[in-house]
Amino acid sequence: MRDWRSMAKASGIPLSQQELERVAGPLDDLEVTFRQLARDLSPDLEPAIGFHLEDQSE
Amino acid sequence: MTIQEAAAALRDKRITPQELVTSAIARYDRMEPTLKSFIALRPEYAQLRAEQAERELRLGRDRGPLHGIPIAIKDLFAMRGVRTTSEPEIFEHLEPDFNCTVVERLENAGAVIMGKLNMHELAYGITSQNPYHGAVRNPWDGERSPGGSSGGSGAAVAAGIIYGAMGSDTGGSIRIPASFCGCVGIKPTYGRVSRHGALPLAYSLDHMGPMARSVRDTAIMLNVIAGHDKKDETSARRPAPDFVPAPNCSIKGMRIGLPESFFLDRVQPEVETAVRAALAKAEALGAEIKPVWLPDMNAINAVAQVIIMSEASAIYEPYLEHRGRFGADVLMRLDQGRLIPATDYINAQRLRRKMRSNFNRVWSEVDCLIAPTTPTTAPRIGETVVRINGREEEVRLATTRLVRGFNALGLPALSMPCGLGNGMPVGLQIIGPEFEEAMILKVGAALEDAGVKIPVCPMR
Repeated sequence: MRDWRSMAKASGIPLSQQELERVAGPLDDLEVTFRQLARDLSPDLEPAIGFHLEDQSE
Repeated sequence: MTIQEAAAALRDKRITPQELVTSAIARYDRMEPTLKSFIALRPEYAQLRAEQAERELRLGRDRGPLHGIPIAIKDLFAMRGVRTTSEPEIFEHLEPDFNCTVVERLENAGAVIMGKLNMHELAYGITSQNPYHGAVRNPWDGERSPGGSSGGSGAAVAAGIIYGAMGSDTGGSIRIPASFCGCVGIKPTYGRVSRHGALPLAYSLDHMGPMARSVRDTAIMLNVIAGHDKKDETSARRPAPDFVPAPNCSIKGMRIGLPESFFLDRVQPEVETAVRAALAKAEALGAEIKPVWLPDMNAINAVAQVIIMSEASAIYEPYLEHRGRFGADVLMRLDQGRLIPATDYINAQRLRRKMRSNFNRVWSEVDCLIAPTTPTTAPRIGETVVRINGREEEVRLATTRLVRGFNALGLPALSMPCGLGNGMPVGLQIIGPEFEEAMILKVGAALEDAGVKIPVCPMR
């Protein structure tokens, strides 16, 4: 599990202990599901967001 | 009266736009002290617009069924000269000098925009307990939540103050208040309605859509606002059809999928009963109800959560040095998003592409899906935990569980009332393939015609 406290500190996010507990719980839960999903991605799969130059030029 | 009925009355000269506006103001005066659904009412502007509509209709310049109809917009849509206060302290001086595309199109269609509607702060939550403008109340029971984030839109429409409203939906924010307040709302396909000029929450999940008292009224509003907009880079170029279902439209022979797993696993018994009763009506109308298996919706929800938190925090991080300006719940979610690594966000968008492809296979088996919108009826204001079938669940997670995934998938989803549970509205969700809004609206209208509806809200 990620160390949210260290990450918050490194990012300069001023979280009190109480705030950190409220923030970390849901992130822990989400990470359990998400990490497993991301593990199965193949390298050729591109994100579902794009930069559509041809659309902009029209 | 519905928009369709009011439009007919206007053309038969049984009523004038000024009278519609006057009675909307009277209802506002009577109900608003309880409801807190509006942030700003603009009675003088509305009367001017109504006079203009009356003049035009008299001269035969008919702009269509919204001409002269009082509606309102969620307070994140830019309207020229009107403060837009999605988050009042950050945007206290934000008075746009332009109309967002949605407002431009509604006004061109002759709609009378009465004012701006209350909402959850930044559209980032489901309670609509706005720390600056007060908690919106559910018109069915003032002790209960209207849902959110478009809670003011849902409450004002259900209470009958206005005939229709604009909402936005990033993780269920149109469909949840539609379900809790007992009105109709549609989240169109991503790209169908322009996002230009609407304050964003999460660029790739934000959908703009209408809410109204009936399925056909919702379609009338969608007809006006849908279609390509070069000011929104993600706007679809696909032409918008006529979305309004024909009278007596038929769903005979349609294949309606019932995704029992996940969507009926953990819902209140009264919600399941109402949804199954609506499905029985659909079957009686000649539709085929087919049980279907869907990809893992928990996984899709997780991907949607990573995306919404990352994008929302990217947008609002510059303002977070003033932490006291935000409500505690919104601040917590913005802080969470700041801790999600960029790699997770990119991977969430990669997973989204894969999930969309997997999910779309279901459309070879069925034409649309029907499921509950929310697993419960409206919770009490301030309630944070709900018990469903003996299991406790956080209200926010339970309320978004059945709707959030369709934002990540970009699919159109309609919520309509399908019954009452313990005296509160139950919402049913109809989901269709990309750009098939007309089809899901037809299914909704056929059900509504067959009696899938609820009594008029007692507050009216």
